[in-house]
Amino acid sequence: MTMTPDISRPPLIRSRALRRFLSHKLAMLGLVMVLGLTLACFIGPYLLPYDELYIDLRARFAPPGTGAHIFGTDPLGRDVAARLFHAGQISMAVGFAAMLISICIGSAVGVISGYYGGRTSAVLMRVVDAFLSFPSVFLLLALAAFVKPGPAMITLIIAVTSWMEVARIVEAEVKSLRDRDFVQAARMLGLSSRWIMFRELLPNAIGPIIVAATLTVARAILLEAYISFLGYGIQPPLPSWGNMLNGAQQYLQSAPWLAIVPGLAITIAVAGFNFIGDGVREALDSRSDQR
Amino acid sequence: MTDNNTLTFRPSRRQTLMLMGTAGAGLMAPSVLGRDRALAANATGQLVLGFSQEPTVFNPMMPHIEVDEGIYYAIFDTLFDFDEDGNFFPILVTEVPTVANGGISADGLTWTVKLKSGVTWHDGTPFTAEDVKFSLELPMDPSFRSYRSTGYSLIKDLTVVSPTELSWTMTQPFAPLAAVLASTWIIPKHAFDGVADKNTAPFNNAPIGTGPFVWKQRMAGDHIELAANPVYHGDGPHIQALIVKYIPDLNVMYTQFKAGDIDVVGLQWVTPDHYAEAKDLPGKTVEVAGSGTFESFALNMMRPQFQDSAVRRALYHAIDKQSIIEALYYGIPTPTETYMPQQSFYYNPDLPKHEFSIATANKMLDDAGWAKGADGIRAKDGVTLSFTNSTTAGNHLREQAQQFIQQSFKDIGVEMKISNLPPAVMWGDYWMKSEFDSVVVGLNVLLGADPDTSNYFLSTASPARGGAGQNTFAYQSAEVDALLKQGGETFVPEDRKPIYHKMQAVMREDLPFLPMFQYAVCKGRKANVSGPKPNVNNRIDSWNVRDWTMS
Amino acid sequence: MLRYILGRLWQSLILLLIVSCIGFFVLSLAPGGPLSQFALSPGMTQEQMQKIAEQMGLNRPLPVQYLDWLRHLLMGDWGTSYRDGQPVLHIIGQHVFATLLLMGTATALAILIGSTVGIFSAVRRGSAFDYATTVLSMVALSIPTFWFGLIAIYFFSLKLGWLPAGNMYTVGNGSLGDYLVHLILPAMVLALVDVAVWSRYMRTATLNVINQDFIRTAKAKGLPPRRILMKHIVGNALVPMITLAGLQLPAVLGGALVTETVFTWPGMGRLFLDSLGYSDYPVVMGLLMFSAIIVLLGNLLADLIVAAVDPRIRLE
Repeated sequence: MTMTPDISRPPLIRSRALRRFLSHKLAMLGLVMVLGLTLACFIGPYLLPYDELYIDLRARFAPPGTGAHIFGTDPLGRDVAARLFHAGQISMAVGFAAMLISICIGSAVGVISGYYGGRTSAVLMRVVDAFLSFPSVFLLLALAAFVKPGPAMITLIIAVTSWMEVARIVEAEVKSLRDRDFVQAARMLGLSSRWIMFRELLPNAIGPIIVAATLTVARAILLEAYISFLGYGIQPPLPSWGNMLNGAQQYLQSAPWLAIVPGLAITIAVAGFNFIGDGVREALDSRSDQR
Repeated sequence: MTDNNTLTFRPSRRQTLMLMGTAGAGLMAPSVLGRDRALAANATGQLVLGFSQEPTVFNPMMPHIEVDEGIYYAIFDTLFDFDEDGNFFPILVTEVPTVANGGISADGLTWTVKLKSGVTWHDGTPFTAEDVKFSLELPMDPSFRSYRSTGYSLIKDLTVVSPTELSWTMTQPFAPLAAVLASTWIIPKHAFDGVADKNTAPFNNAPIGTGPFVWKQRMAGDHIELAANPVYHGDGPHIQALIVKYIPDLNVMYTQFKAGDIDVVGLQWVTPDHYAEAKDLPGKTVEVAGSGTFESFALNMMRPQFQDSAVRRALYHAIDKQSIIEALYYGIPTPTETYMPQQSFYYNPDLPKHEFSIATANKMLDDAGWAKGADGIRAKDGVTLSFTNSTTAGNHLREQAQQFIQQSFKDIGVEMKISNLPPAVMWGDYWMKSEFDSVVVGLNVLLGADPDTSNYFLSTASPARGGAGQNTFAYQSAEVDALLKQGGETFVPEDRKPIYHKMQAVMREDLPFLPMFQYAVCKGRKANVSGPKPNVNNRIDSWNVRDWTMS
Repeated sequence: MLRYILGRLWQSLILLLIVSCIGFFVLSLAPGGPLSQFALSPGMTQEQMQKIAEQMGLNRPLPVQYLDWLRHLLMGDWGTSYRDGQPVLHIIGQHVFATLLLMGTATALAILIGSTVGIFSAVRRGSAFDYATTVLSMVALSIPTFWFGLIAIYFFSLKLGWLPAGNMYTVGNGSLGDYLVHLILPAMVLALVDVAVWSRYMRTATLNVINQDFIRTAKAKGLPPRRILMKHIVGNALVPMITLAGLQLPAVLGGALVTETVFTWPGMGRLFLDSLGYSDYPVVMGLLMFSAIIVLLGNLLADLIVAAVDPRIRLE
């Protein structure tokens, strides 16, 4: 295997991309937002005197700042901050897991389609188009209405409806590389198609995949919020950012913090990932140095 | 008993007749008819009635939900109906058949119904006994997608004696038939003449009735427009146009009520959290009204966890009803120990009172040998006190109560896992075939004001045990079975009362479901609207829409 | 050209087939069903439910049901609703106006505001305005639409009392002004995301044009900058935007669904949720197919317009 042609990008370019990324202010802000929120979600619960599930009907609807309830309490008197942090763990875990699965599905479909081309590609890309031609919320709800809603199921459903972009990106990339010298060389060396696809071609598409991955996390967090808000997502008492918002509309007048707090958390997380994604994209784009 | 003073809001045909018992002879004074028509022609104003669900089924014989009945009461008439006290009053009949007036034979097997004359359908066709015959036979038509067969299946030899009289015999005595008839809206036979498939008849989307309002048009997803029937056979209607508006969001419905866009807030009503504000709104009348639905923590009696009656009693002790009602439901519902509405003639007020006590519950379980394991959850003979609880996802108040109960149960070493489902899944096989462990559910197990609940509590009515019915608790009690049989064959209310009192006591002891409260709802209307009246015996607000007035 | 269109239509048909197949089986394989809503009706029995299911053909094997549905669809019969027995197309027709009104207003707003912002930030590339709009549009893309709707309701309806909290018109009113007042909030909320998308793309598109030779030529010829901007830059940048409009369709439809829920707007989104709640499969399937067709046609149309506008692009 020592004969395997080295196709990875030269370290010089990589470090330059890294440097570009690090000097991208927005990306850094995004990184700070995401890391900050993640830290808060994982450490926060240990700092708060409340359990996210503990119900105290006497303390219901306490506005933010009442005693130690920094974000107030919900209709059952549970601490909103404690729920928010736990919800964050769940929502972000769902986002990440959904991203990983959809990257796997998308990459596999894209690489196979791009490598084999022809009829295989036609069929696979039509399936991609079919999925893309649904408004994804329609498809999500149709799926979510009929499974037992748990975090695992929701993750899977989100993944199933967000792999198509990745597939398209990878397919395009692989198609353009398919006939390049190093692939020809690998073929002549008698390497299996699988080896060529996943060891030679896929790593070349890693840049766009990373960009897609960050954006997919952002999207997945949003999608979880959508379906949980509509009541088809993660079910209480397990908190998620989306289901904390479900029902908040009812108390908009009397307890607006129930709507404001989780929504802000979602926006910060999603914007953070979007900023990072933007930074990665610009960092990997060699033209951006010339700007 | 006759009260011919049409100036009051208790019009003449609202004479109250005790079901088949006391001799309350109701005779319509023919002269009243003419005056009523004059009133109907004077109907004025437009009233907007808001519902949070959309009425979509307009043939009352087809499967429908309660909100659809909101339209039926306006367009159609039943032969007779229940008033708010659970007594019958005649609508299309001259008098409600009873044993006393000879409408029902002493053995309960022969029924005779006498109809009003001079009644016409909205299209001008005269209404006759043939229409009634058609309406009673249609549910058993094998090619027709019918709502139900309860009661109708026992009717045979339906005979039209004259255009205003018909009679039939029953294959067995069945007292609840009167209640079935009270929710059988009579539909016109002629609308189905020459219709090949009754399931898709044009009538189903352009209903013709004999009722106080005439179908105008429907804007799907938005509203239905009805207009006063100028030749209505009873007194009323007093409103020229009735708009039934569909507003899927209760907050929006309340906001629009507040703003004055809606005159009467119907089904799903003002949410409890808005009650305190709503009752002080100027120019609005907001009242709490009892409803026939009771909330319970239903158990699946086939599960090993619920076999021991000590467990069921302990769980009941661990439910903090008071807090749930006071805090989560803003004190609006009434605590109850039974399935029978407190307004009912058959309600048993002497049932043991529920007492919330974690200590008692813990002691009960200790005494019964349910010991806590390392994880804090009790177990006995390999059975762990851990089960799931489901309800309809999206019912916020109920979900809150559920989570509150979950915490209380934890305190007595019982693990309750919440697994809520969308309605289409929840009330499918999951409910009907008893695939649940436990469910928080609001049920109305009665047919109108009739106390019979065979369909829900008879041992043979459990689909999971191979029966047919809605005994999804899979409850089995020889004593209850015998009482239900006895009650169904007894026709005089005073004689039926002790039977059903006994039954409620037995079920309070057995606890196949843990009764929580009887629902009450906050009904709101503009102060210038009079007529809307709570009635636990009918399922929806518009049951007496013919009497509503606006000033 | 004709061959191209026919080819695309043929592909679209195959897509629709796949879409319908996925949709149908996902819906039908799930537990529950259209009869569940009757389970709590007084006097309902399991037997009766089975009888009704049989009459509705619900207990036939799924492939048979699917082929039957497909056969009817091919003959132009979209089926009838399980809820009110009305033809599905008729029902969709009754809801499509509300959605189009909302989507149309939002899209028009978005194009207007988005393009303007995009062009200006491209022309003033690197300025504070450019940077601010770039950041803001990315934040806008990150806000959950429904949450933005809730916040908008909180401020504009509950706090300030300026605008209604929901619905398309006041019962019994329905004048044009009344519609407009009800339209402002949901259209604004729905447009937010689109403004972000449009301004971003418009900025890129304008930048691409600015750097091209003919603009330099125009500048060299001494044409006033305003004229260059309006005629050459905007004209050329608009071409890719047409494609974008086509690609944006599913997102706008999806956004409309959620926005309609928050504002109780009587459009297709609410119809979809209602129908889903009652397992009214014919309507749900109808809506899926309808939106897929709209999306596919939108894309095709966008491609055709681009080809017609831009002589450099030739369709194969």
